[in-house]
Amino acid sequence: MELPILPTSVIGSYPKPRWLLRQYKLYELGKIPEEDFKEAVRDASVAVLREHERAGIDIPWDGEMGRSEMTEYFTAKIHGFRFYGPIRVWGNFYFNKASAVSKLEYKEPLVLDELKFVQSVTTREIVKIPITGPYTLAEWSFNEYYDTKEDFAMDLAKILNKEFKLLEKEGAKFIQIDEPAILNHPNEVEWAVEVINRAVKGLKLKVGMHVCYSNYYLLADYFDDLNVTQFALEFANRNFRDMDFLKKLTSQELGFGVIDVHNPRIETPEEVARAIRKVFNYIEPERLYINPDCGLKLLSRNIAYQKLVNMVKGVEIVRKELEKKGKTSVPFRTLKDF
Amino acid sequence: MRVVPALIGSLPRPLGLAKKIELYSIGRLNEDKLEEAYREHTKKAFQKLRDAGIKVITDGMYRWDDIFNPLIRYIDGVEVNGLFKFYENNFFYRSPVVKGEVNLLDNPIPKWVSIAKEILEEVYPEATLKAVLPGPVTLAYHSLNEYYENLEALAKDYAEKVLTPLIKELEVDIVELQEPALASELSRATREEEVHISKETAKTVIEELGKLRKLWVVTYFGTPQVIPKGVILNVDLVEGSLPDGIGGEVGLGVVNARETKMERSDRIRDKLLKLSGNFSRIYVTPNTLLDFLPESVAWRKLKLLGRLGGE
Repeated sequence: MELPILPTSVIGSYPKPRWLLRQYKLYELGKIPEEDFKEAVRDASVAVLREHERAGIDIPWDGEMGRSEMTEYFTAKIHGFRFYGPIRVWGNFYFNKASAVSKLEYKEPLVLDELKFVQSVTTREIVKIPITGPYTLAEWSFNEYYDTKEDFAMDLAKILNKEFKLLEKEGAKFIQIDEPAILNHPNEVEWAVEVINRAVKGLKLKVGMHVCYSNYYLLADYFDDLNVTQFALEFANRNFRDMDFLKKLTSQELGFGVIDVHNPRIETPEEVARAIRKVFNYIEPERLYINPDCGLKLLSRNIAYQKLVNMVKGVEIVRKELEKKGKTSVPFRTLKDF
Repeated sequence: MRVVPALIGSLPRPLGLAKKIELYSIGRLNEDKLEEAYREHTKKAFQKLRDAGIKVITDGMYRWDDIFNPLIRYIDGVEVNGLFKFYENNFFYRSPVVKGEVNLLDNPIPKWVSIAKEILEEVYPEATLKAVLPGPVTLAYHSLNEYYENLEALAKDYAEKVLTPLIKELEVDIVELQEPALASELSRATREEEVHISKETAKTVIEELGKLRKLWVVTYFGTPQVIPKGVILNVDLVEGSLPDGIGGEVGLGVVNARETKMERSDRIRDKLLKLSGNFSRIYVTPNTLLDFLPESVAWRKLKLLGRLGGE
């Protein structure tokens, strides 16, 4: 399978339409039936998927319309967690941090419904399914049950591995493991890598790994040890400074973050193109995917859309330059290729 | 030995207040209504602290997004940058980017402290209120320094040109300095750079500030490596240990503000008994900011602390 060179994608989340947020509220208050809420989520998924496609994104997702938050959505479905209430992440943004209170068990598929629905409505051949990784789920939960965090994370890895295998069987081509917390404790990264590798054990599809707002020099020491196809990292937030760690990324692909998701200013296509040319000093075009830094959910919807439009326009500028060198497409590489 | 329950730093910001702040930020709530909300929530917090038996308190830092903001918005020479992880927590702060010499600008912080004092007089006059500020060492470590020759020079200027004039304006007897950097070096988790402030400089800048007002220096996420003299040092006993060379009054972080599991009060009492010979007074506190806990659990932990108070 071939893709245009510099394939464009998203990291995951996207601003929920206001009308959907109202449905969330009404559903929470028990004022609308579950079926109506699910229908609203599906309608929003189609709307966002179309927005991604209209912006020209090659590998879209539905913006996580059915997910309240990146850890809570999963911990609510895994047996053994309980919730005490929301905690603040920054400013006025909160999430429901779960506490593990008994042995964790896989009782039901986590995102299979999402995948099937998105597959049924997308016009694209490939979609990317973002799933929060085992280390981050453990790190961003409280632990009242396990003796060690490693045991906690390893049980989560085994649960996610069951889910990943199910998704692969159902036709998933590309999953992205979101691990924004993996570098939180430098002395734990070694076993965290084993935990990730356990989660992807036996898989053949494409596996990306997203890490953000962290010290990538620390991650770079483990590039070769991680059984993933691609690292999707954030660069716009740090003004594309200090990218020397990329010298250690010698085989896997880079998902290059060119859109700052915490700043409403819309990047120009020229800025995007300039950033891509800069990263060519480290990674050849054939190993590059282009994406925003992180999920776009904190922006307003029109700004998020415009940022994606300009991201793709920026990519198109560089594609034209690459075309002159005869570079127009890249093969879709999976774990089998590594 | 007397054991006194105390609060350090922030309380979890109530969701109702967060919603009001958001409404204000998009122009759907006017400034007076927002101020009313701050006062109402502060009053409620003081009442709950009174009921929990916490004797030395802060205003819960409801007006602060993190320990640096909004102070850094009122410093000339500083721009406010993108988000960074606060140590290894899923909690982010906006970092100061130092572009020129730092100097304190007009700011509302002294007024906020005065408002908190007024509310305290009304609902809990017997409590002692501390004003909370970031310490110069932690502030320097968390800055992106694009101007000063080194972090030591920056820490000195933060102390001399920002914190000194500010502390002078605060109508409180005790100023709490948030100084996790004295115990926990900036983790490699967020930054590769290794830049340091020497222990001697850190000690000196804090001791100089201690000449202005009684200081309560709060450390966490490790064992303090710097022991300033003449201050109440708060030590995190959950993730660190008591260093040598402290006597008199001390703050001890004995409940874990990063885990929901409740501590057993008998075990904490045993621990305090073993330490009782070393100190004239022990302030029992959470080990770090209560922002890391859901509100309901944070208050349960404060009630536990309240039950530890007494001779």
